[in-house]
Amino acid sequence: MKISRSFSGYVGAVTLVVLASLLCEAVRPSLAPTNMVMLYLLAVVLAAARLGLRPAILTAFLSVLAFDFLFVPPRFSLRVSDTEYLVTFFALFVVGVVISSLVSQIREKVEQVERQEARTSSLYYLTRDLTVAVDIQAIVVALQQAVLRTFSSRLTVVLDHVSFSEAIDNDKFIPLDNNSSIIAHWVIQSGRRAGKGTSAHSDSPFIFVPIKVGSQTVGVMVIEECEATLTENFQLIEAFAGQAAMALERVHLTIQAEEARILRQKNHLEQALLNSISHDLRTPLVTISGVLDSLLNDDLKYDSNKRWAMLSTASEEATRLNRFVGSLLDMTRLEAGVLSPRLIDCDVDEIIGCAIGAVEQRLGTHQIMTSLEPNLPLVPADLALLTQALVNVLDNAIKHSPQTEDITLSVRSDGTSVVITVCDCGSGVPSGEESRIFDKFHRISVPETVGGTGLGLSIAKGIIEAHKGKITASNRVQGGLMVEVILPATAPDTLIQGN
Amino acid sequence: MNTDNQFRVLAIEDELPIRRFLQTILEPEFNLHLAEGGHAGLAAAATTKPDVILLDLGLPDLDGIEVIKRIREWSAVPIIVVSVREREDDKVTALDAGADDYISKPFGVNELQARIRAALRRTLQQTPEPVFSSDELMVDLSNRRVTCHGEEIPLTPTEYDILRLLVTHAGKVLTHSQILKEVWGIAYLEQPHVLRVNISNLRRKIEVDPSRPKHIITEPGVGYRLKTI
Repeated sequence: MKISRSFSGYVGAVTLVVLASLLCEAVRPSLAPTNMVMLYLLAVVLAAARLGLRPAILTAFLSVLAFDFLFVPPRFSLRVSDTEYLVTFFALFVVGVVISSLVSQIREKVEQVERQEARTSSLYYLTRDLTVAVDIQAIVVALQQAVLRTFSSRLTVVLDHVSFSEAIDNDKFIPLDNNSSIIAHWVIQSGRRAGKGTSAHSDSPFIFVPIKVGSQTVGVMVIEECEATLTENFQLIEAFAGQAAMALERVHLTIQAEEARILRQKNHLEQALLNSISHDLRTPLVTISGVLDSLLNDDLKYDSNKRWAMLSTASEEATRLNRFVGSLLDMTRLEAGVLSPRLIDCDVDEIIGCAIGAVEQRLGTHQIMTSLEPNLPLVPADLALLTQALVNVLDNAIKHSPQTEDITLSVRSDGTSVVITVCDCGSGVPSGEESRIFDKFHRISVPETVGGTGLGLSIAKGIIEAHKGKITASNRVQGGLMVEVILPATAPDTLIQGN
Repeated sequence: MNTDNQFRVLAIEDELPIRRFLQTILEPEFNLHLAEGGHAGLAAAATTKPDVILLDLGLPDLDGIEVIKRIREWSAVPIIVVSVREREDDKVTALDAGADDYISKPFGVNELQARIRAALRRTLQQTPEPVFSSDELMVDLSNRRVTCHGEEIPLTPTEYDILRLLVTHAGKVLTHSQILKEVWGIAYLEQPHVLRVNISNLRRKIEVDPSRPKHIITEPGVGYRLKTI
């Protein structure tokens, strides 16, 4: 490559001299030989600007010879009749060489600036890409693109313990063989670069550059040798590695911060859980064990009415305790991911029927007024889970409704989704807390008589979201709370098949 | 007291407090035998020839489902599963294995007694009553006639087959696969939508308000049950 390039330079030099000679021959009748030197100088300048230093010097040398041979009398001989021409030859050669070196210096400077510019811009692009990289994979992809853009080489990044080459399935990465993996780990351990053009493992076809955060090596960039000699560009590659290290550090810190935030939140939740459990589990137990103890010790002290009253309170509390334990189990299953819905196309009628059937015994003086649009589409649902979710929503409405007030349940559809709306005439929620009522253990400040676990609606939310649906709450203008459950409907074409 | 006149109930239950509790609530009415584990229960089932078996699924020595299967190898005695496992899958597995009914712990005394009586009633009527009636609904199996408020209701053959199956097992939960197998045959086990569509049509014909059914009750995730009065 290098040889052929300089060869073409020398051919260019010869060509330029031939052209200059032909031009001189053309103007010979009207030009004194000394002035023809100017035309040869022009050829030297062109050679210096276009072909480089050595071809330019060759041009100067050939120009002297050609001028002497062709135009200085006696023509077609190297002999010089007039010794004054020796000065001309000398001046032509010296001026040619000086011009050549000056021009080629300028040219080199320009090339250097261009290279610098290319490096700066590739570094700039890399920095820009790394700034927006949110995870390790994005960083690796940004590095790969930078290396591909700058050197047209492929790249693989090996991080401490994990190789990310598997994660990115395109042709930009190099599959690492066993030997390369060993070298990569050596680089991580030693923190020194290795591979082709370095002092260590120079027999490898790749170049290994450590990515260092502080004094610790967190990974290795493995780069393929390519057209541009990478060894000349070690500085730039190391700059890439530096940028990558900073980005990795940043991502690492972000992950840590996120983990810390989750941990804080979890602690907060666990505290709430403990408070709630100790309250909700103990309160019914106080009543139950109190009643049982009193009856066990002083059975005769109470008449049958009193005994009945005490026992029915204890029984109610036992039911409440059972439901709380059930909710806790549901919540735990939901969080452990055990409650994964098995979706089967269901009739909305059937879902509503099951939910209302389940709360019927707890309705008391309330009534549930239903209004269902005709020809509702099917809903892909896990009937048992979705029923549970709606039961929780209905329970919440029953709990917060003043006696004798009706609860309305309506269902409508726009074809792509089914909207189930449950309205009560209670006191609603304080504005701004509409979404917080779905938080775990969130209970709006209501009289103690409204005993809830603070889990029902969050379980409902968990189940609805597992159905790819949405649940929202808002205060009604006329008072009370409206809970809206939006579920995706089955596409109509599968409905025909179902029939 | 002459225990021969009483029905024999075998309770297979590993928890001592619950065995004691069962004793308290069932002894006056039934002749109760208790077994602490699966193997003991199987032996007791063979020797005492109970009329009803109450079975806890979570036994320490043998899985409850296995107990059901082994009893079903030689006996059709009603088995009522009494368990804390309240997930629908467990119910379906138990019912498909041959259990007759399912009741979750904690249960009410009255409910348990009622379930035992219902199970006994079903075994006593070897040939089911030819006429089933509940509120306004009447199903006359001998004449294949279904009436609501005295008016005859036209049903497709499939709808009638489903209703007949539910009537002959009135009060008992039938799982989806049990109904599919009985009405359509084993090839339809993986086609729950044909059942859904037919139940939906059936409800539209015999229920006053199909979205709040009073006769054909859905047990979410388990199956269907025909409600008795």
